[in-house]
Parts: sequence; C-alpha cells; structure tokens
Amino acid sequence: MVEAVLDGLLRVLQPDALLYMLLGVFIGFWVGILPGIGGVTTLALMLPFVYGMEPVQAFAFLLGMHSVVATTGDLTSILFGIPGEGLSAALVLDGHAMAKKGEAGRALGANLMSSLVGALVGAAALALAIPVVRPLVLSFGSPELFMLTVMGIAFIASLSGRGARGLARGAAAGALGLLLSAVGQDPQAGILRYTFGQLYLWGGIDLVPAVVGFFAIPEILDLMVRRSSIAASGPTGKLVGVWEGVKDCFRHLGLTLRCSVIGAFIGIMPGLGGGVAQWMSYGHAVQSAKTAEERERFGKGDVRGVLGPGAANNSKEGGALIPTVAFGVPGSSAMAVLLGGFFLTGLVPGPDMLTKHLPVTYSMVWTLALANVVTVALCFPLLPYLARLTTIRATRLAPFLLLLVFVGAYTANNSWGDIVVALLFGALGYAMLRFRWPRAPLVLGLVLGDLAERYLWISVARYGWDWLGRPGVVVLAGLTLAVLVYPFLQEWRERRATQLLHREVAHAD
Amino acid sequence: MRRRVLVAAGILCVLSLASGAGLAQAPFAGKTVTMLVGNPPGGGYDRLARVVARHLGRHLPGNPTVVVQNMPGAAGIVAANHLYHVARPDGLTLGLFNQNMVFGQLLQVEGLRVDMRKWQWVGSLTRETDVFVIRADLPYRHILDLRRADPPLAIGATGPGSGSYDFPLVLKAFLKLNVRIVSGYRGRSDIMLAIERKELDGVAGSWSSLVSFVRRGLVRPLVKTPSENPELKDVPSDVDLVSEPTAKAVLQLHAVPNRIGRPFVLPPGVPGELVRAYRQAFRSLADDPAFRQEAERLGFEVVYTPAEAVLRVVEEVLNSPPGVVRVFKSFFRFGE
Repeated sequence: MVEAVLDGLLRVLQPDALLYMLLGVFIGFWVGILPGIGGVTTLALMLPFVYGMEPVQAFAFLLGMHSVVATTGDLTSILFGIPGEGLSAALVLDGHAMAKKGEAGRALGANLMSSLVGALVGAAALALAIPVVRPLVLSFGSPELFMLTVMGIAFIASLSGRGARGLARGAAAGALGLLLSAVGQDPQAGILRYTFGQLYLWGGIDLVPAVVGFFAIPEILDLMVRRSSIAASGPTGKLVGVWEGVKDCFRHLGLTLRCSVIGAFIGIMPGLGGGVAQWMSYGHAVQSAKTAEERERFGKGDVRGVLGPGAANNSKEGGALIPTVAFGVPGSSAMAVLLGGFFLTGLVPGPDMLTKHLPVTYSMVWTLALANVVTVALCFPLLPYLARLTTIRATRLAPFLLLLVFVGAYTANNSWGDIVVALLFGALGYAMLRFRWPRAPLVLGLVLGDLAERYLWISVARYGWDWLGRPGVVVLAGLTLAVLVYPFLQEWRERRATQLLHREVAHAD
Repeated sequence: MRRRVLVAAGILCVLSLASGAGLAQAPFAGKTVTMLVGNPPGGGYDRLARVVARHLGRHLPGNPTVVVQNMPGAAGIVAANHLYHVARPDGLTLGLFNQNMVFGQLLQVEGLRVDMRKWQWVGSLTRETDVFVIRADLPYRHILDLRRADPPLAIGATGPGSGSYDFPLVLKAFLKLNVRIVSGYRGRSDIMLAIERKELDGVAGSWSSLVSFVRRGLVRPLVKTPSENPELKDVPSDVDLVSEPTAKAVLQLHAVPNRIGRPFVLPPGVPGELVRAYRQAFRSLADDPAFRQEAERLGFEVVYTPAEAVLRVVEEVLNSPPGVVRVFKSFFRFGE
C-alpha cells in the first residue's frame, strides 16, 4: 500500500498533471468567489475537456478546481454575509458578525487556515479509509441515516439561545423549517403538498435561493439602514489582522480537528449532502462552549463559529470522494458530475479503484491536499485587501451586494421563482433578525426535514419495527439524547455552582 | 461629392445584400446556440446534452458555439413551457426534454402547456431500453421465479411517476411477482448503494444508467422493454411475457418513448430552413466517429431516429385507445 501512496504522489508531481491542477485551481478560485456560476455547473462545463486525458491529469484538473471552490466560496460569506458556494450559510452567522466588528481579517485568516486543516484531514481520511471504506459505508443503512438526521435536528436545542424563551423560539423556528421542507411532491405517493398549483414548487423549496435570501438580505438591509460600512460596529474601526486568525486556528486546534472529522464523516455518508456537514459542526462548536454565557456569544462573532464550518466545508469534499470512488455512488452533486469524468477517462468506479487502480485513487488524495495548499498560499497575500472591502461605505457597497444575491439566486436554476423565494425568505429573515428569533434552527429544519422524512419512511417500509433495535440506531439515539440534553445540563450545573457559591458567601459572613 | 456619396451608398447596398445572402448560407456563423435541458447537471440527460453540444457545432453551417443551459423543474415541464412560449423562435435555442413528456400530455398533467405534436422535432441520437435488475447474489435466475420469491423482494424507487416506481409496479401486477416497492430514495445512486448494502434487492431503470453496475457484476437484468441491444439479447422482453391483449398494449405503450430515445426539439415558429439545417446536422452527427466514441464511452447507445419517425411515435401515443389509456393511468403517473 505504501508503494501505491508514493506512486500516487509521483504521478501528481508530473509536470503536466501539476499544470492541469494549477489551471483547475485558477478556475476554481474565481468560480468560488463570483456568484452566478456554481461549482457543480462549472465542473459539468469542464468535463468534456478531460476526454482523452490520462486519469491522473483529468482528476488533477477537476479536483483541483473543485477543492478550491469550497475555500474561496467562504470568502463572500464572511465579508458580505452572502452565503458563497450554495449552502455555506453556517459560516455567515459568526464570520460576518466578526466582519461587522472590524475583525474581517481575523475571520478570513481563521477560515483559510481551518479550510486547509479540514482539507488535509479530508484527504487523510480518504487515504486511511480506503482499506475499510466498503464495510464502513455499507454498515450505515437508512435507519442509521435517519438517526443521523435526527441528531442534526437535535442540535436545534443548542442553537436556540438561552432560557425558556430562547428554547421556545428555537423550537418554533425549527418546526417552521421542518414544515417548509415538506413543500413539494411527496416521494411515497406523489401527492403535491403546499404547491398551490405552482409548477415551480413541485420540487419543493430550493435551498440555495432560500438560504442566500434568508441570511444575506437581512444583512444588506441592516447595512443600508445603518448607512455606515460593514466594519463600523468595531471598536476603533481598525482592522484586526489575518495572523490573529491563523493563530486562533491553532489555539482551538482540537475543535478544528474534531469538526474536520465530523465533516469528513458526513461527506462519506452519501445520503446526507452538503448543508448537513457544516451545520452539525457549527452545532458542535457551539456546544464546545463551556458555559451558557459563552454559548450566547455564538452568532455575535466568536471565532470558533468560523473554524468549525470552515473546516467541515472542506473536509466533507474529501469524504464525499470516498463513496464516489469506491462504489460509483456520488457523495454529493459535484461528485455526480465527477463520475462522468470516470467514464470519460475509461475508469470504472468500484472495487477496481481500490485494487487495480489504487495509485490513481491515491493521486486523487494528493491532488486534494496539494490543491488546497496552493490555494491557501495564493489567498493569503490577498486577505488584507479583501478585508478592507468591509470599510467601504454602505451606499456604495449595498447595490453591488444585492446584485450578487440575486444573480446567485437566479442562476442556480435559471428560474424567476428562485428570486421570489429569495425575497420572501429575505423578508422572513429580516423579521426574525429584528425580533431576535434565532435563524439557524429554521435552516436546520429546512435542510434536514426532507432527508429525515425519507429515511424514516424507508426504514419502516423495509424493516417494519425491527430497525429500532439495530446497534447503530441505538448508539446514535444515545448520542442524540446527549446532544439534546447537554445545554440543559450545562445550565443546571451553572445554577448549582452559583447556588453553592452563594451559600459559601452566606456562611462566610 | 454627391457622386462619392452615391457610390458609397451603392456599395453599402451591395454589401448588405451580399451579407443577406451570406446569412442564408451560414445562418449560424458567429452565433451561439443554447441547448436547454430540463434536468439538473450531472444526470444522464445532462451528460448527453454536453457531449452533443461539444460536437454539434461542427455539423451546423457556420460552426456556431453550442452551450448547455440547465433549467430543471417539474420533470422538465418548466423548461418545455419556457421553450414553447417564452424563448425566441429564432432557431438559436434547442431543447432536450424528458422522453416521457408525451405521457404528461396523454395523462393531461396540470401545468403542461405544450402540445407535443406542434414541436418541430429535430430527431434523436440515442435509444433507450428500460431494464429491471436484481442483486446478482440472489438465487433467482428468471423473472418468473420471482412469483415464488420468499421473502418478497424489496425494490427501490424514487417516487411515483419515475421509471423506478411505475415499471416495477406494472410488472408486479401483470406478472404476479412477489415484490414490495420501497419508495423515497433520493436518486439512482442512493438506490444502488442500498442494493450494495443488501437493504434493497432490485431496481428498474434505463439501461444506460445501470449498465456499469451490470458490467461490474453487482446486479443482473431479468426483464427488459423491447430492444435490439446485443448486450441484452438473452434477457426476456416484458411484452413477450404477457398474453392478455390489454396488458400487452399497456406495456407496449410504456415502451414507446424508448423508441424516441432522448429527443431534441425546436419551438413552433422557427423558420423551416433552420429546422432543416438542424435535422441535417443531427443526421451527420450520428455518423461522426468522434461523437460516437465519446457517447458510447458514457454508456449511450447511438442510434439515429429522424424527426418524422419521432413525430409518428408521438401521434401513436396520443391516439391510444381509451381502454388502454385507462389501465395505463392506473399504473403510470407523470413525475420526477
């Protein structure tokens, strides 16, 4: 196996493969930053060019492009509060809040570093998992996937804010999200739910325009109302540096690594999809807060809220490659396009990739790692300039941002309905922002609701009630309970500690 | 001075006439043709569109650039409505839609505002076959063995209206198979993974999307819709397995769109000469060795079906006898 690893590395370091990778990185860099052309569409566009290439070169190009998009897409989330690639919304919560405090540079630095860590962990996961990937993926059936989505939904409890009122609001927002996820044609009987006769809603509410509108529009409105600039709420208006952010990543290395692992793991599970990884790691980051008070800081600019999703966004891509290579089953929509790359270069994804063509598989691992290192190296000098964008006056910036939002919403499907959705969700998001209702639970409900319903249905249809007794399900149920109970436990412990303290003080008198 | 103006005007007239004539000869020169696809990127239709787009430009007079635009929604209805009513009929937009859309019209699906007969059909480059496969490690060798399957086989599907749901349903009813349909999977890939996990025992789908799994040895085809594909010659055809005339007619009706393959259309209103240019281009594209090789690598069966033949098939479907349509409707719906 070691020979295969080294062989893979050598193949990537060939001049032509390296050149293709750099080309891919260059293209991916711009695709991630500019809205309007998504990573998946670009992959589909680039795919025909690989016809006739050697497999290593073809994937150096495609993966080089793809892995960079995840990193640069995060930049707009932090700077402008506009979710970049598709669903990187979790990053907006704390990343953009930091930008508003004048800490844009720090957020960008932290994000870039954690993206690199995440990507490397993802690549390592891919490399290490190869011997065990088949039994690993095959042991997670629909019942286990259902429990994973339930666990994700349970994170709503942590993201809900303090006290009874916070929890009630979080639960209500989550429930609304779940309800909204039911819109569309139901997958068991084909009944159209809540479509009000609109063709557009057959497939349900599209997540990209909804999330983009939900987070970006309130921020832009807020910006226009305040009329200053994004970084105006910072203490001196001065920008805190990029290196601070890099150091943050290492200060919280444990968290970054854990979130990378979460991201890689969810990437490996082909049934879950992109949004889940970063929200679960955001939820985990929130839970790593030691006191309830610390938890409150999330959403207002805690760097840990940047590290978590930043790492997970990248590690999930390495994870998603695993089922694609090992089973020919794409782990994400980008991977579905990448499968075409397999066919065009004459490879067949499946057991052969783990035996006969093992060096090619390892070359993909190395491509992921190297492309990300190159991206980070390229981006670093740019960060201070990018950070300065947050000091531009709102009146100049807001129209441009609105353009970004609507172009991003429209070009996902070339549909006007998406713009309406973005507007409606923008209005809802603004109302929730104003009245201090937590927005994260709603998104969680929206993202996870459809998945949870499908897997529950399949589990019951296939196994009757037996699935409740499966070992994986029991373990995950326990974890879910832990996730749900943890915030209450924290608060209870704090109250007891305060009570004990009061008693001691009283005794001391 | 006046003479010079006259000469200049004369030259301009001649030039514009010449360019007008030139326009008739190379109508697509310097233009971009948009191929509208009613499916999201990554799937079979999208892959086909992109490989066609890459080679089609060469066969059209003037060698235009051809780009693909995805407009997913309502199983292709959104894109079809758009092409029919909204897109300019200037011949620069070509459409590729769900081959089952003719059923959408037959079953009078709400929202479809297109008359399939009024499209200006360009033709089809591929032919499809639907197959029903089961896990290779199961002991059943012939489709009729599944009558005695114990326990009943779990067949994966995405939802009513898709081939993975409707086809097994009708097979189960007509052939009395002991199978259960487990619906709700997000897509073909999730179903295949579930088959690997032994959570599911079988699936139905188009041959081009299942061929790699068959060749890999994961699944074995048990029944097909009528096809001349040599790789499937030992697999029985569903029409041959039933004797009752209505049942036969329903299965034949179901298989009809496969004879259309994946059809390309132009909206009504596009000038006749442009339509003819496209038809000619498709005819020569089907013989283009570079195109054939790339398409076959992607798993497509390249067979050219001219526009007239496609239109005949559409008419055939829409003129089906009401008795057959009634039974058909009880099994088949139109959906994603």
